[in-house]
Amino acid sequence: MSAKKIHEDQKYVDGLAANNTFIIQTIYDKFAPKVINYIKKNSGDAYDAQDVIQETIITIYNQAKQNKLELTCPFDAYFFLLCKRKWLNQLKKIGGKEVTINEEVLSEDDDAPMLSFESSVFENKEALFKEAFLELGEACRDLLNATFKIKSMEEVAKSLKITYAYARKKKSLCIGQLTKLVQASPKFNQLKN
Amino acid sequence: MEEQDYIQFESYLLGDLSKDESIVFEEKLKTDVSFKQAFEIYKDMSSHLKHEIENEQENSDFKANLDVISNMYFNKLEKDKTIEQPSHKFNFYKYGIAASVIILIGFFVFNQFSDPTYEDYNSFNTISLTVRSGENEAMTKAEHSFNSKDYKEAIIAFNEILENDYSNLEIQLYKSIALVETNQFQEADELLLKLSQGNSAYQDNAKWILALSYLKQENITAVVETLKTISQNSEHYKVAQELLNQLD
Repeated sequence: MSAKKIHEDQKYVDGLAANNTFIIQTIYDKFAPKVINYIKKNSGDAYDAQDVIQETIITIYNQAKQNKLELTCPFDAYFFLLCKRKWLNQLKKIGGKEVTINEEVLSEDDDAPMLSFESSVFENKEALFKEAFLELGEACRDLLNATFKIKSMEEVAKSLKITYAYARKKKSLCIGQLTKLVQASPKFNQLKN
Repeated sequence: MEEQDYIQFESYLLGDLSKDESIVFEEKLKTDVSFKQAFEIYKDMSSHLKHEIENEQENSDFKANLDVISNMYFNKLEKDKTIEQPSHKFNFYKYGIAASVIILIGFFVFNQFSDPTYEDYNSFNTISLTVRSGENEAMTKAEHSFNSKDYKEAIIAFNEILENDYSNLEIQLYKSIALVETNQFQEADELLLKLSQGNSAYQDNAKWILALSYLKQENITAVVETLKTISQNSEHYKVAQELLNQLD
């Protein structure tokens, strides 16, 4: 992956991460029409398209913010596939219909299906992580909130009136608990499907 | 995994392991599948928490900005369609129409020969907060009160909405209008200054309302200064220039 050349369209990804209004507007102007068209042709309307596009952009933003998205294909193909998969999965959920997602080749670029698939997995994983965090005990949640907000472990320890060593140990164990919760979820094994 | 494993994960991620310890650790990642799986989740979870908690404000700013841009884009599509097919009923999107589109201020009523006043500019269009899926009591109340110019009630409803959705910039903007209407200038100006300095599509709208607030307070210097900062791309640019000319 690292050997591959980053596509110039990475600018859209970086622009999203920077909350650049101009870039976001450009993404709508350039790439939304194709998605709207597709959804309208496949039992949806403009409202559905608006939601799908918005959720997809949030996923890309989240992934980019965590430095986990390096675009090695055109944004167009990547974005369209991601929106398309999201819409088909929704159709499947609403209608219980069996929808086959066939990934027809959009361009000669092989990376678009792979990258968009990785983003879908990333999105499902994030949702699973959020669920796990809500299941966590209050003490752990407070500690983690403090840890990531305050940054300095010394100050966290001070604010919670515990020692530095204990705060750090506790942080590891709380994330350890989250790890276990994630592994125990039935959704975890479905992530890659 | 044992407690000790998680403590080691943390140390490894922080770069606190000695060189030898790191080699042993990395070797284990290669050979022990369940160790590797737990570590990968631990690592991704840490990155997720860092992003969600550390960037909380940034993330909600992003979502608010995206919401505005998305609404503007789709409302424009809908508008173009309505022009093509005049019989088509106008639909409102999730959070209603974007503020920038609907706060069309009636500037054609003022008298050219007298000094401009706030009342020349404050004919705000109706707002629509109708949520597409499911009714929301506060939204309905806010919309109704605002549209019938009962701004006191509207503020109460806006506050209710903001309690659960404090970063909703559209509601913040409407609330600021209601505050100006009810002469609560201090709170209005603070809110508008914040919105006009933010990095959102509401920036110029907020500047325009702020200028009107100063106009109502008869602080002409501040009106002029604020009007000058409205960008050329704003739909209020023209009316802002006209008001500037009047004040000069």
